[in-house]
Amino acid sequence: MATQDVEATAPAVRIDSEPEEPRPERARRQRYLLWRIAGYVLFIGAWAFISSLTEPYILPSPVAVLRKMVEVVGRDDFWVNIFATLRHLAIGFTLAFVIGSAIGIAMGRSAYWDAFFRDYVMLTLTTPGLVFALVCVMIFGLLDIGPIVAIVLTSFAHVTVNVVEGVRAIPRELMDMATAYGVPRSTRIRNIVLPAVAPFLFTAIRYGFAIAWKITALTELFGQTDGVGIQIRVEFLFFDIAGVLAWAFFLVGFALVMERLVLQRLERRFFRWRPKAFA
Amino acid sequence: MATVSVQNLRKVFPGEGRDVVALEDVSFEASGHTFVSIVGPSGCGKSTLLNILAGVETPTEGTADITKDGSRARVGYVFQAPRLLPWRSVMDNMLFVQAEQTDQVRERASRYLAMVGLSEQHKAWPAQLSGGMQQRVGIARAFSIEPDALLMDEPFSHLDAITARGLRRELHSMWMETKKTVLFVTHDVGEAVELSDRIVILEKGGKLRKDLSLDLPFPRDPADDKVALTKAEVLREFEELDLIAT
Amino acid sequence: MDTTASSGSVVRSGRSWFQRTFVTPRAARITAPVLFLVAWQLRLMDRFLGLLFPGRTESALLPTPAEVVEAMWEQLLDGRLLEAFSVSLLRLALGFALALLVGSIVGLAMGLSSRIEAMLHDFVIVGLTFPYLIWGLLVAMWFGYGTIGPVLVVFIAGLPYVILNMSEGVHDVSKELRDMAAAYEIPRDRVMRHLILPSLSPFFFASLRYGLANGWKGLILAEVFAATSGAGWHITSMRDYGDFAGVVGFAIYFALFSIVVERLVFGRLSRRVFRWRPATGRDVSEPPEVAAP
Repeated sequence: MATQDVEATAPAVRIDSEPEEPRPERARRQRYLLWRIAGYVLFIGAWAFISSLTEPYILPSPVAVLRKMVEVVGRDDFWVNIFATLRHLAIGFTLAFVIGSAIGIAMGRSAYWDAFFRDYVMLTLTTPGLVFALVCVMIFGLLDIGPIVAIVLTSFAHVTVNVVEGVRAIPRELMDMATAYGVPRSTRIRNIVLPAVAPFLFTAIRYGFAIAWKITALTELFGQTDGVGIQIRVEFLFFDIAGVLAWAFFLVGFALVMERLVLQRLERRFFRWRPKAFA
Repeated sequence: MATVSVQNLRKVFPGEGRDVVALEDVSFEASGHTFVSIVGPSGCGKSTLLNILAGVETPTEGTADITKDGSRARVGYVFQAPRLLPWRSVMDNMLFVQAEQTDQVRERASRYLAMVGLSEQHKAWPAQLSGGMQQRVGIARAFSIEPDALLMDEPFSHLDAITARGLRRELHSMWMETKKTVLFVTHDVGEAVELSDRIVILEKGGKLRKDLSLDLPFPRDPADDKVALTKAEVLREFEELDLIAT
Repeated sequence: MDTTASSGSVVRSGRSWFQRTFVTPRAARITAPVLFLVAWQLRLMDRFLGLLFPGRTESALLPTPAEVVEAMWEQLLDGRLLEAFSVSLLRLALGFALALLVGSIVGLAMGLSSRIEAMLHDFVIVGLTFPYLIWGLLVAMWFGYGTIGPVLVVFIAGLPYVILNMSEGVHDVSKELRDMAAAYEIPRDRVMRHLILPSLSPFFFASLRYGLANGWKGLILAEVFAATSGAGWHITSMRDYGDFAGVVGFAIYFALFSIVVERLVFGRLSRRVFRWRPATGRDVSEPPEVAAP
């Protein structure tokens, strides 16, 4: 269990702790729907109330932020910035996933590679992203590759720790069974290895992605010409709190949509065989 | 006709500090329509013997092969746990171990599922079946590759008494029908006496202690005098073993 | 079989002297950083980038290890390092103490009452997702440079982890054990001391660990925008002056700090707290024990 100190740095409670939530939990949620709505009403009410007490530029009202969001979407360069950020994110995260998985497979299968990469993985998990963002900005200046390298450096380790766990979770007794029946390697990989590792890959994607989009915005903020990050910096320099909040909500909204709608749906399709799904 | 041949087999597992000897100089042969039970106290290397015969593990010394007409025989293996792929349906689990996926093979797989009474469940996921049903899929899987020999590693030990009894009867009739060579590992002497025409006793440390032929007619009723006597005889042998072991 | 190769499979007999000495897990932990240093000293990265982007300017070249060590030595001698980290750690302690206090109360309330949980659950999840960068900028605009902003971000960053772990902890107290305690009519205070608190302790520990780790990350970002002291501010200001060696040196100090905290503090603590637990069979919400090196 050589990488335990490494994975220990992953948050205990995962950002989305209910990927395949059991039915009773869901029923309970429904029952308390009113309380849930009350929570939202209370939050927005408190926000509106506090903002009415202060100067509008200190805490803009919810309506003002909404108006700002509409205005931001209408800007000429809105989509240019969004696509710049998405491009960084897509390339960076794909690379991080491939590299992180490769290292994870090596670490899961060999004690040597486990020892070799253990410290790198632990370091990148615990070092603040700002450090990587700054070093990348200094190395690459305004080049597009800056955010991409920063994404790879900060999020590969989150993929790696989960892939390592996945490789170790491949059921030995099923592999032995397949050996006894002389099942060919490709069939074994498709039918045993991939399904066994799949849940860990999902967690890997989820973890890595949660880090990746934040570091993208951060690196762009320090050294880019296009991207959401630099837009946030501009709003900050103009002291436009509504603007900062508007962009923040776009980012968080995007992350939540990816997480809830895309990943969770895929996951549900993938894990139909689990007893919970038809309990 | 399959031949099981074990010659001077020795298996050592490297352990922390001290190596563990699982099998020590074991030799025996079995061929044709025979049902050999391998009994012994836990930790005497019974499962290791089957794993080596199945090609899952390699011998440290000696040889252990199952051959048919000089080449490697087709072997079915039923494990203590069902060992089904939880993410594949019952039918896909059956097909997983087949060499080819023709309609003929599918038809054969369905036939064996029917033989263990699970035709209805071919689309179910393993988690939807009871433990006994899962084990039956494991047995059907082993038969469905039409093996020359069958290895079984305490296949009924996790099941309740009634289910186990029913499955023993099914197994017996399938063996009579298909005339396979069966190697059956168990620690339950009653089960061994009920099913087999030969019993091999291993002792702790993996040495072969006794090789008994059972000349009793089938079906064997545990309440029958001769069967009970034979069981008592084997048990006596066993008790001596335990004294030696401790 | 090949995919399940056990960790012990690397050590095989029949290997040469070289392999037995240098191709072992123990040696790998030294080989890894040495290879990194060699690659760095040979400027492999610069050469590679030079091939990819011929237009890169000289000033953007990575500093050499020697330059970085020199910068690190300077930072250590002139007291900048100590000052920066002590200021930051103080802010971390202050903000996290607040988060622990508020988070424990809210978390326990959420664990005990389904209504409160329904009200707050979504906000805790958004709180986990909201980037520290944004909080850093907001507190900078609200409070300017100073202590309040960074401390507030530590509080905000640590809070959701404390809340979630504590409420999970309450859910996790075994119903069977509680029923058993009720059946034997065990007094309340003894149930609290021997059942509730021991089952909460791994979750409390997890909230300390992850709350602190994320509070630290949030703090460093907040100091960039909302402070004129502290570790985050230091590394950014060196970047603003173009002191590349200083930035890399300080980054290495960050890394060393992480190692020390992970290895010494959390490694020890977790082994103590969980000594009753068998080594295998852990669950997602608990921090796994740190393996002995």
